[in-house]
Amino acid sequence: MTRIRRLVPFFALAVGPVAAQDSQFGITSLGTPGRWESVRARATGGAFGPFDALSPLAEAALLDLQRLTASAAEATSYRSAELGGQTDALRTSRFPVMSIAGPLGRRVVVSGGFTTYLDRSYTATIRDSMTLRGSMEPFTDVITADGAVADLRLAAAYRVHPRIAIGAAVHLLEGSTRSTARRTFDDSTSYLTAFERQAVRFDGFGISASLAADVTRRVRVTGWLRSDSRLRATVNDLETDRSDLPSGLGGGVRWAPSSNARVAGVVAWRGWSVAGADAYDTFTWSVGGELGRQDFPIRFGARGGQMPFGPGGAAPTETGFAIGTGKGFSEGRGRLDLTVERLQRKGGGLTENVWTVLVGLTVQP
Amino acid sequence: MHRSSRFLLAGLLAAACVEDVNAPGQCPDYCPGGQITVIDTILRTVIAGDSAFRGYVTPAEAASLLVADLPGIIDSRGIFYTVAQQARIAYSISDTSTGGIIAVDSAYLKLLIVRRDTAAHNLTLRLYRLPFTLDSSTTFGAVAPFFTDSLLRTVNVDSLIATANKKDTVTGDSVRVDSISRRIDVIIRLDSAQARYVAADTGRLGFGLRVSADSLASIAIGAKEAQANVDPQLIRFVRLDSTGLVNGVKRTLTARTAQFDSYVFAPAAPALDSTLAVGGIPTARSFLRVALPAAIRDSSQIIRATLLLVPATAAQGTPIDSFFVIAHGVDADFGGKSPIAVDSARKGSAVVRIGQTDTVRIDLTRLVRIWSFDSTAVTGVMLRVVPVTGLVGEGSTLAEIRFQPSGHTTLRPALHVTYVRRFPFGVP
Repeated sequence: MTRIRRLVPFFALAVGPVAAQDSQFGITSLGTPGRWESVRARATGGAFGPFDALSPLAEAALLDLQRLTASAAEATSYRSAELGGQTDALRTSRFPVMSIAGPLGRRVVVSGGFTTYLDRSYTATIRDSMTLRGSMEPFTDVITADGAVADLRLAAAYRVHPRIAIGAAVHLLEGSTRSTARRTFDDSTSYLTAFERQAVRFDGFGISASLAADVTRRVRVTGWLRSDSRLRATVNDLETDRSDLPSGLGGGVRWAPSSNARVAGVVAWRGWSVAGADAYDTFTWSVGGELGRQDFPIRFGARGGQMPFGPGGAAPTETGFAIGTGKGFSEGRGRLDLTVERLQRKGGGLTENVWTVLVGLTVQP
Repeated sequence: MHRSSRFLLAGLLAAACVEDVNAPGQCPDYCPGGQITVIDTILRTVIAGDSAFRGYVTPAEAASLLVADLPGIIDSRGIFYTVAQQARIAYSISDTSTGGIIAVDSAYLKLLIVRRDTAAHNLTLRLYRLPFTLDSSTTFGAVAPFFTDSLLRTVNVDSLIATANKKDTVTGDSVRVDSISRRIDVIIRLDSAQARYVAADTGRLGFGLRVSADSLASIAIGAKEAQANVDPQLIRFVRLDSTGLVNGVKRTLTARTAQFDSYVFAPAAPALDSTLAVGGIPTARSFLRVALPAAIRDSSQIIRATLLLVPATAAQGTPIDSFFVIAHGVDADFGGKSPIAVDSARKGSAVVRIGQTDTVRIDLTRLVRIWSFDSTAVTGVMLRVVPVTGLVGEGSTLAEIRFQPSGHTTLRPALHVTYVRRFPFGVP
């Protein structure tokens, strides 16, 4: 009970917008998919994601946890979007992931938490004009959405063999956006401003399973499967849209040549093309490593692949690298992780450059 | 909690509110899927149940005395009488003893012209003696004889304005011109006979006013109903009896304002017909009922709404009588007795010039928007007329306009609305 009380600040911290860094590429579609990675995994370009117990990706990795553990992260992104010769600077701060996990007996570890499934925060300002009552009327539209679809995950891992673990999870996709639409005419004397505000709710469901096997004492391979049903949007309890969500699979290998060195590589595929127009299946990869003592390592990694949404008939691409570190404290009961990530996204004439600073806190009370 | 955890929590919370996700939309590739849709349409059949009613403001209730002499159009004459004057007056504030009025030396009659046509030259006022038995039922014909045989004074206002000191040293008449409001105080000097004091009449004096000019003879004179101290005032200079003084004591009496003021005119206002009459005297109003379509009322935002009224005939009146047609929302639908809403959010107006036959467009955006928000609001409009200049109360202009009613198949009243459809939130 004392341990549980110590974790209360984590849940208090998590009350607020749940989202990852967003992208202009997600405005016209369902949103920008979040990353199911802890701060530690982000520092390796995502390569440690399926091997990291606190990354909500592959449940089998939960068996690495020996005791009750909670983790939360904060991410601040500085993004520039260049389109048609115009560059805009954007900035967001989010809590992209939070999880709590602990063993139930010797063979079972359970976990709960949430992460961002789709970020749907944006503000689009549009200048245009139209002919009204015989004269051209310039106007400004400002359309905003603030919110996200969160992936509420309940997972369990089970050790079936000293070298083999399996895991499974159910995912409740829930979220909402506070959306507004405003049109202001330059001739505000003749035309009043139109403003509307609505809360849009989203829900969906998914399941996932994973397997991890220690092929040798230094090599672990893992694979995961996930299938999500659909995302339903409702306004005032009336369904306004229903989009299919993708199934996906991935796998990776981690090699630990010594106790102070770990490297991993991961690939993943997700069938986002079912989600509608201008949606594409994505293939992503990442490689990364962690050097040094566990309580103060240096992490690095790179990633690449496609993004699921974008105009122009082809999936936008994304490449990036990351670097980070972590520091244990309180005799190993807590750890601070710090990651700096650089991403570049291209597609449909748009180029986004993103710097993201992530801070993670892990506590083992 | 460990100290480092507390620091981290504080840092995270401080950073959590930072956000700037604003970006210019590059449509359609990088704009949200939903678009703001504007519809602009003329609703030609939403106005029905319209009628005209007359009698809201009579000449005796008007804020102005309308005096005009426009051959073939109208002959309107002002009539008024002053409040009673006590027969005995205190000699001074400190002396409570009183003396009777034994003679009137002279008097000034002050009239305030609140509106006139500056193109009218040789503007001349004629002051007549009238009985003080005037009331709201007094007709043009009843007082017509007095306007032929009881002339007291003739004052050429333009000549007075042209003089150096704006005063005629011979007659004692003068004017004061307010260059901002363009109002003219006309001060007419009356002699002892013209301003006589008859105790049997309690000192009341009745007057009639006519106006003439080379052309465009039409003015408005302030009336007591304006409640702005602009009505005619009579100031007598009298002598009070006093022991030992043969000629008595000279005193200036307190100004006597109008006890009653009105105007009479011919020809009388034409009778109402099927058109929507607004203005005239006694004033007419027209009431229109609007059936806003449910699709607009429930699922849109009005960003502009204009009431379209097509005149059945050219706007009638004297040339200076440009006027506002004001469309008021109403608090309840009692037909012609519907209480009008006077707050600025629920009314709109348009200027109409005499002779105008163009469609009158009255902006009612805020009123219609209220209708769309408040399902209990009464969707009716009352039309009335007030003058553009002078005292802007209803009944202060002779102008009248008649609009085509909803019974007209093609020129019926219509509502031109521009609205935004409900935004398709929740659609990618």
